[in-house]
Amino acid sequence: MPDGSFSHPQQRQFNPYTENGGTILAIAGKDFSVIAGDTRQSEGYSIQTRYAPKVFRLTDRAVLAVNGFAADGNMFVKKVQQRLEWYRHAHAKDMPLGAIARLIQTMLYGRRFFPYYVYNILGGIEEDGTGAVYSFDPVGSYEREACRAAGAAQSLVQPFLDNQIYFKNQQAPAGQSHPLHLPLSDVLAIVIDSFTSATERHIEVGDGLEIYVVLTKGRPTQDLEGYRGVKELTTRPDGDRVFLIQRELKKD
Amino acid sequence: MDVSFALTGKGYVLVAADTTAAHSIIKVKSDVDKIKELSPHLLMAYSGEPGDTVQFAEYIERNIRLYQIRNTYGLRPQSAASWIRRSLAESLRSRHPYSVNLLLGGYDVSTYTPHLYWVDYLGTLAEVPFAAHGYGSYFALSLLDRYHDPEASLEEGIATLRRCIDEVAKRLVVSPGKYLVKVVDKDGTRVIEI
Amino acid sequence: MSIMQHNGGSVIAMVGKDCVAIASDLRLGVQSLSISSNFEKIFPVTERLYVGFPGLATDVTTLREVFRYRVNMYTIKEERAIEPTIFTQLVSSTLYERRFGPYFIEPVIAGLQKTPSGSYEPFIAATDLIGCINFAKDFVVAGTASEKLFGVAEGLWEPGLEPEDLFETISQTLMNAVDRDAFSGWGAIVHVITKDKVITRKLKGRMD
Repeated sequence: MPDGSFSHPQQRQFNPYTENGGTILAIAGKDFSVIAGDTRQSEGYSIQTRYAPKVFRLTDRAVLAVNGFAADGNMFVKKVQQRLEWYRHAHAKDMPLGAIARLIQTMLYGRRFFPYYVYNILGGIEEDGTGAVYSFDPVGSYEREACRAAGAAQSLVQPFLDNQIYFKNQQAPAGQSHPLHLPLSDVLAIVIDSFTSATERHIEVGDGLEIYVVLTKGRPTQDLEGYRGVKELTTRPDGDRVFLIQRELKKD
Repeated sequence: MDVSFALTGKGYVLVAADTTAAHSIIKVKSDVDKIKELSPHLLMAYSGEPGDTVQFAEYIERNIRLYQIRNTYGLRPQSAASWIRRSLAESLRSRHPYSVNLLLGGYDVSTYTPHLYWVDYLGTLAEVPFAAHGYGSYFALSLLDRYHDPEASLEEGIATLRRCIDEVAKRLVVSPGKYLVKVVDKDGTRVIEI
Repeated sequence: MSIMQHNGGSVIAMVGKDCVAIASDLRLGVQSLSISSNFEKIFPVTERLYVGFPGLATDVTTLREVFRYRVNMYTIKEERAIEPTIFTQLVSSTLYERRFGPYFIEPVIAGLQKTPSGSYEPFIAATDLIGCINFAKDFVVAGTASEKLFGVAEGLWEPGLEPEDLFETISQTLMNAVDRDAFSGWGAIVHVITKDKVITRKLKGRMD
């Protein structure tokens, strides 16, 4: 009360979380991995920025996409990068992908009772040279998969991926079976279609698209040549390589 | 805490309902008949809010009878189900809706086919091969998914019904002790001892 | 959980080349308990017009009966079949009559509209539960899997699909969407409406 008396009970609350929209997606191939996310950051009906990256290169063979509460996401990526740097200093090499996945689990579960409000998708190349995708929930439960969508438009994109990547509800021609892995050009087309579709029907998705492509050591790169403005982000020669494709999405 | 199930077979519908009447934790009766014989070829098992159930069931019973007196011919199962559903649907948006769930088992004497309808208090109507209401449904439906056969003889149908009753007796904490089982087929309705 | 999710179920309609398609799942449930795997939510209005009613199952039956009555009265008075655009207005005004105590249904309408020249052109529309109409040129969705349907349809649909291709597109869209929805599925039914016939097919689906 204005008089400062305690005659009436009062309650105050601070909500430490918010939801910043956007969508991320990753697909694993036989010898590559594609990790993508849009760049819009919003709160409610307001767009905070049209360019806030959600996908980050961790090493030459690992890329992490984070979606949910942007502040938590950025902090989490920073902490993962710090742990990876410590690993490099201690072991003079990059941490393997499976180990990064387990690291992320322990880091997330370490905050079990005040979680990072983010969904993580880790993509890259395993030590045996195969493409891999690991998806996480906010408290560290994780699994390795061939593809995963997360974020605001997860419910729009995931069933589309079930159909196009896993060939769900499709029958293979007689005597044939569905391919276990798709070629890179098909995967990139599906990723772009997924995001243009999500942009069309979801107000929190749009503005820009960043597609990271991780290729296993020695893999030819001609599949990427058709795309405008492909940037190579690889730091060391003769290893796995990371590329970035940036595209525009509708801004309405 | 009412439990009721029903299933169709070759030329018949079996309907079972428990026979207990309870007031909170007290059993006040153990020989209640909760399956009305609406017409010579139509059974209705009812459950729900005490008071509403009997009031609604008798209203339906009298009106089905009235229709038969007025028109010589009674309503076929499909039409009876449709009219009963509408009564519940209209009641739902009235000042005092009935909370009554029903299982309607009937034998259509003009097409020689058995029909079973699942009806809830909202007026949801679905024709089904087998059905259940109350806590029994969580046990009976999965059993019936496995064992129901629309071409089963009456003996086989009764055996399947027994499985449901036994499973509820075994797994449900507040399981009823006694059931009344009725069948409707080309010869009309009758009670079956199990 | 909202009343709109109580029984589950989804409907979608799509436009093709001189044809339209409308499809739905077949599940009837009460919350998470499935009751029936053969509960149809799409009904014929005329030979070239169908309507789907996803939402509360009691209102599915009630509205089917209401519109059967009102369309029959229209047909008798006007001595001609009702056209899709007129029927859409009828749906809208019927739902708006119950503005403050609505039927919990979001109708989806698909049919072929007669043009002044005597040919037919595809028509689809959907409304919300109080009758606000959405005329769409491509596809409309409604029900518990609507978000998923939007996602897949936006990815698979293209203009000018022939009847058989439209059938495949709408079927794939529906099946993959309902497989990610706990409240929809348990089989599906698809109607493809062309100027001289309606092709109806039942689809088997995942039973989990």
